[in-house]
Amino acid sequence: MATVTNWIDHLSASEVQGAIYPGVGSEGILVILGFIIWIGWHVITAKQESEKLAKLARQRRGPNDWKSNITDG
Amino acid sequence: MTDELGALTTIFTEFYYWITVVLMFLIHVGFCMYEVGASRYKHHQHTLMKNTILIPLVTVTWFLFGWWIYWAFPTGPGLAPSIMNGSDALITDDSAFSAKYYLATSQLMAVNLGDHISGVFWAAFLLFSWTAASIVSGAVIERITTFAFGILAIAIGSVFWTIDAAWGWHFDGWMLKLLGYHDAYASGVIHAIAGGFALGILAVLGPRIGKFTSSGEPRNIGPRNPWLVVIGLFLIYTGFWGFYAACNIPIFNLGPEYGMEGVTYFTATNIYVTPTTLSGITFNFLMSLSGGLLAGYVISKGDPFWTYSSGLAGIICASAGNDLYHPIQSMIIGMIGVVIAYKMHYWVERKFKIDDAVGAVAVHGYAGFVGLVICGFVLNGYPSSGYSVGAMWDGATYASINPLGMFIGAIIMFFVLGMIPGYIIAKILHGMGKLRIPREAEIAGLDYEIMEAAKDDEKSVASATR
Repeated sequence: MATVTNWIDHLSASEVQGAIYPGVGSEGILVILGFIIWIGWHVITAKQESEKLAKLARQRRGPNDWKSNITDG
Repeated sequence: MTDELGALTTIFTEFYYWITVVLMFLIHVGFCMYEVGASRYKHHQHTLMKNTILIPLVTVTWFLFGWWIYWAFPTGPGLAPSIMNGSDALITDDSAFSAKYYLATSQLMAVNLGDHISGVFWAAFLLFSWTAASIVSGAVIERITTFAFGILAIAIGSVFWTIDAAWGWHFDGWMLKLLGYHDAYASGVIHAIAGGFALGILAVLGPRIGKFTSSGEPRNIGPRNPWLVVIGLFLIYTGFWGFYAACNIPIFNLGPEYGMEGVTYFTATNIYVTPTTLSGITFNFLMSLSGGLLAGYVISKGDPFWTYSSGLAGIICASAGNDLYHPIQSMIIGMIGVVIAYKMHYWVERKFKIDDAVGAVAVHGYAGFVGLVICGFVLNGYPSSGYSVGAMWDGATYASINPLGMFIGAIIMFFVLGMIPGYIIAKILHGMGKLRIPREAEIAGLDYEIMEAAKDDEKSVASATR
């Protein structure tokens, strides 16, 4: 997958190839992976957040109950 | 400095490194905020002072001998010959980058009209030294003596990271030649070594009182001020930009440097003098930060401390190859590093009863180690240098980047130069009775007398009538 194996050969070529990251040509796959990760993150965290909020809501705390949880530091 | 274009390039390079130093100061403001926020109120001023005192101690020792070590040790010594003089001894002769120019007594270690780079380059590396020591500082809060931490800070900041930089970060370093080691933004040379060093200390120092139950179950000692902690981390991210820029050389003509006849090729390079661009590393810094943040948020279920720490861990993991990765590769690598670091933190805590107050060993040590290993696979076959390409173990040429070489490099960073020296020095300090504060002082709070004096002052002022 190495795009460059020798810097002298790479830089002394008649036309120096600019893209030097691994897997030049696989940008499409990388972008698809990027989309999957992005959308997947929203799906997972939406579920996590809903569960957390539902659990808190079920406890039916009063507006000042949080004050008893302040730590001394 | 008689040709205007040459003078402009020189002054630009001098200014470039100067600016990175200023930016990197923010890392230390951030570390101070972070540690004060993590420690309990009764210890927080001493925690701040402990972290602060590394600044002058590492600076002075860096001037006296640290900088010399970086330039003298690339060959091992005795492991691979220098490309400057063909010898595997310490580089102290008349070579262009000999350590003799960086002895504390050298005329170049002061204002000198013939030199516009030594001071700013020294300072850029000094800020890396402070960072190595600061990483250790967070793990050991609330129970280490300032004296012991000062000695340990000098050890990691002016000796052991310097040796690892000479070995694995210098263009002439033996680890590049024998192993194909590649670590552009210091996953190993700063982060893995500092994390390993901290772990070695923690094994001797012991946990904070109250951290573990009598049956060995860990209790969570949460940050006193989570807001201060995360803003501190955010400032560390900001300073990290300076770190990345300082790891590069802003402009270099590689044609004559690589001995290419008739070729002119001006480019930014990494510390190894191989090509990259500030533009490219900007993509990768942000994408690895984002990958870390996203993974940290999921794995910690939205915990602010771990989410922000994971942003940092993401950058640290991808740093080894961030000069070359595609941004999406960088993001994914950052995410992998975070998941492993998070899991390892809690596993080590339970299994070995290690109390790492801020997760420094995980964020820096494990993420850095993993980053090096991943780099060996993703950049497999890339040259570690532009000066030559050869086989692993040869020594006279530079091996290509490869998984085995990077794994051995990670072991050297985390264990050989990190954990083992940290453990030995901590053992010596412990044997002298100087490592840990008395139990009674820890229970009372290190700031007890400061707070008592402040209370007395308050009473005295309140009762005054004129």
